[in-house]
Amino acid sequence: MSSRLLLLIGLVLGGVLSFVFTGHPEASWTVAQIDDYFLNVLILVGINVILAVSLNMVNGYTGQFSLGHAGFMAVGAYASSALSIWVKGSSIEWLHVAQTSGPVSFLGTLLFGGVLAGVAGILVGTPSLRLKGDYLAIVTLGFGEIIRVVIQNAEFLGGARGLTGIPTHTTLGWTIGFSLVSIYVVRSLVKSNYGLGFMAVRDDEIAAEAMGVNATRYKVTAFVLGAFFAGIAGGLYAHFIGYISPEGFNFLKSVDVVVMVILGGMGSTFGVTFSAVLLTVLNEVLRETEQFRMIVFSLMLIVLMIWRPQGLIGGAFRRFSGGKRTL
Amino acid sequence: MSECLLELTGVTMRFGGLVAVQEVDFRVSEGELVGLIGPNGAGKTTLFNLISGVYTPTAGSVLFGGRNLEGQKTSALAGLGIARTFQNIRLFRSLTVLENVCVACNLHQRGGVLDALWRGRRFRKEEESYRQKALELLEMFGLGAEADLPCESLSYGDQRRLEIVRAVATEPRLLLLDEPAAGMNATEKLELMRLIRFMQERFKLAVLLVEHDMKVVMGICQRVAVLEYGRKIAEGTPDQIQANPQVIAAYLGEEIERDA
Amino acid sequence: MGELIQQLVNGLSLGAVYALIALGYTMVYGVLRFINFAHGDVFMFGAFMGVCLYQWLKPIFPEQCGFLLGIVVLLGAMVLAALLGILLERLAYKPLRARPRITVLITAIGVSLFLEYSCQLIFGAAPKGFPSLIESRSGAFWGVRVSNIQLMVVVVTACLLLALRGVVLRTRMGLAMRAVSLNPTAATLMGVNLDRVISFTFGLGSALAAAGGIFYASLYQAIDPFMGVLPGMKAFVAAVLGGIGVLPGAALGGILLGLIETLVVGYSKNLGISPSYRDAVAFVILILILLFKPTGLLGKSQKEKV
Repeated sequence: MSSRLLLLIGLVLGGVLSFVFTGHPEASWTVAQIDDYFLNVLILVGINVILAVSLNMVNGYTGQFSLGHAGFMAVGAYASSALSIWVKGSSIEWLHVAQTSGPVSFLGTLLFGGVLAGVAGILVGTPSLRLKGDYLAIVTLGFGEIIRVVIQNAEFLGGARGLTGIPTHTTLGWTIGFSLVSIYVVRSLVKSNYGLGFMAVRDDEIAAEAMGVNATRYKVTAFVLGAFFAGIAGGLYAHFIGYISPEGFNFLKSVDVVVMVILGGMGSTFGVTFSAVLLTVLNEVLRETEQFRMIVFSLMLIVLMIWRPQGLIGGAFRRFSGGKRTL
Repeated sequence: MSECLLELTGVTMRFGGLVAVQEVDFRVSEGELVGLIGPNGAGKTTLFNLISGVYTPTAGSVLFGGRNLEGQKTSALAGLGIARTFQNIRLFRSLTVLENVCVACNLHQRGGVLDALWRGRRFRKEEESYRQKALELLEMFGLGAEADLPCESLSYGDQRRLEIVRAVATEPRLLLLDEPAAGMNATEKLELMRLIRFMQERFKLAVLLVEHDMKVVMGICQRVAVLEYGRKIAEGTPDQIQANPQVIAAYLGEEIERDA
Repeated sequence: MGELIQQLVNGLSLGAVYALIALGYTMVYGVLRFINFAHGDVFMFGAFMGVCLYQWLKPIFPEQCGFLLGIVVLLGAMVLAALLGILLERLAYKPLRARPRITVLITAIGVSLFLEYSCQLIFGAAPKGFPSLIESRSGAFWGVRVSNIQLMVVVVTACLLLALRGVVLRTRMGLAMRAVSLNPTAATLMGVNLDRVISFTFGLGSALAAAGGIFYASLYQAIDPFMGVLPGMKAFVAAVLGGIGVLPGAALGGILLGLIETLVVGYSKNLGISPSYRDAVAFVILILILLFKPTGLLGKSQKEKV
């Protein structure tokens, strides 16, 4: 069965499921009501899956170590939120009409955030991607911080206090939908002859160039794609919580996503998805012991690098588990 | 007289104060098998890198098919028809044997990002055609059976062969081989010589070979150029080169007159 | 003009702190080709150890020996930090010496997080006041206010830099360090004990970072578990600015960064930006340097051999 068909089925199924289980007010045939808390966790899981899968495109498949993913998430979050708020409070007639056609306008808002994040990706990626390894990591970190500081100083975006009053359009359906789309996009791209280029660039950039693979073009493509979906995730997140602040998109957030990717085995979309689910759930479960969570987390990271750098999960999904190569 | 494919004129390469290559004139014609030899440090690999676009000459020009290579991106050269292998094997380690070759097929493909996402019928046909082409090449070179194995599981000699197959898959007009016989035993070297000859005839390629092993070079090359300290000191047929006193001196040193 | 000099003076003491931290980064990079992400947290550790030592030793020391107490606290913190650095290296980084650089980078992030959150667990997240080790006094010279703490920071940093220079240029260990940074394999073949050199490098760098921590805390009067994050990153930028792997470069970079940052904030109104852009200054410099002169001001170019 072709992947395209699978995706379509997945989307429809996701839509139906979310409709059925979240008890849409108009549906008289609502089967079950999921506990709100559980629902919220699922939405967070979905958002993290999008983040992890998109970062995996850059860090895992293309081997470019980016530490600034949170910055793109921020761009998407703030862009889409600003648009939503502006539309909500605007006195322009047709905008209100557009707003009430729910799904389409929300899709438009999310895409707006994603595209802007993608543009940020081009701006950041073009100068940065000619650097390698440690330097690329630091520069992307730097850009992420710059984005955060700029937002922090932008009064019309709420500044350091954050942005409130974002309409909560995000539902489970949207989140599942975009998770599936992101998985489909990344996986399809990579599992093609064209996609072999990404891994060629990761394994040996010089040899790849000698074989006619334009390394810069591939790196930027991966980077922009990653940024786009991070922006979507940001938009979904903003319209879920209803409030965002620059602090939530700092370096630690980038590290969170990086850990998901590493744990899942860089270069395995399913592994990364699985680890995103696992880590989000674990996060919730351990919410009480916040203090210890990070300490355990960090120790786990250290131990993991020494004993199993190919990730806990990735090995099972990859063809060869000699994962040392992917790092 | 076959067409001149590669033309180096007055090429000089400086790294700071070090002059690695000095005013070298050199030509390779279509379909020729040329060897480049010289003692260590003579500048062979630098010259190679100049031709394959890794370095830009400090002076002089490198013309390929009449076109100046200066300013071209490395990845564009494969499109122009120059392919190469490397002194230290540079395979794509996380890919299979087949996939390594398929990457090289990318060059001539028409589809791109959008096609990969849409996955229509045209896409699938193209994917299959690349697979076929890659498989055929591998079988021609005796690696067909290992197509789906991780490339790192191949023996050293086979890995070198794979690198060559990969380079050939880009459909080049000029193939640059950087010490292809390094680390091979006698049998493997004979096999390699046969392979290069076969490849040259089958695909009508010009081949430029940098090599230390004299048997290999003299055995298959139609013409040989000799570098020493960055300068070309001799050029001619293998027999001419072997008899050339300057070449002998470069490798073995000069005879010292002894008093009776 | 007086305003400018004031800014320069303020920037110099900040720059001295950055220089101390930057030296640690550059030394470790020179010897191991690896960016020790956790270095900023050693800086934090030094400041915290300073407080602990002070509180522990204060009752023992008589009133008049405040200055002596200060020195003991400083040295004590430096030693403790050196030990921490060596311990971290042995446990977390040594097993990864043959691995790709990215693996170690991730480990370093892990170590950094571990230090920050452990500190938070032990001491709580709220910022603490840093005791004045010596009585703070400021004097005015030609219209420029200088506090004795600022003066002390600059002077002691200069002494430490000179001492470092002496160690690197004149001792056998220093020679070993330089050899390893140029060619580790050859160095080991010449009988250099790689493990010892690496431990020494980490220890030395950590000690300097700890000194930086104490000076920073003295200047700004407060410490918290995450105080090392930003100064750590900025000091890294300073090291890159001066040329990563080059010791004088780190010192130069640190001082320059301190000056530039202070000047930008001081003249922010003239530049038309808000002073809270101070943290962005370092990152903008980083990006500019990596784009235009990645080897830094004093660094040398290195081409990859094909």
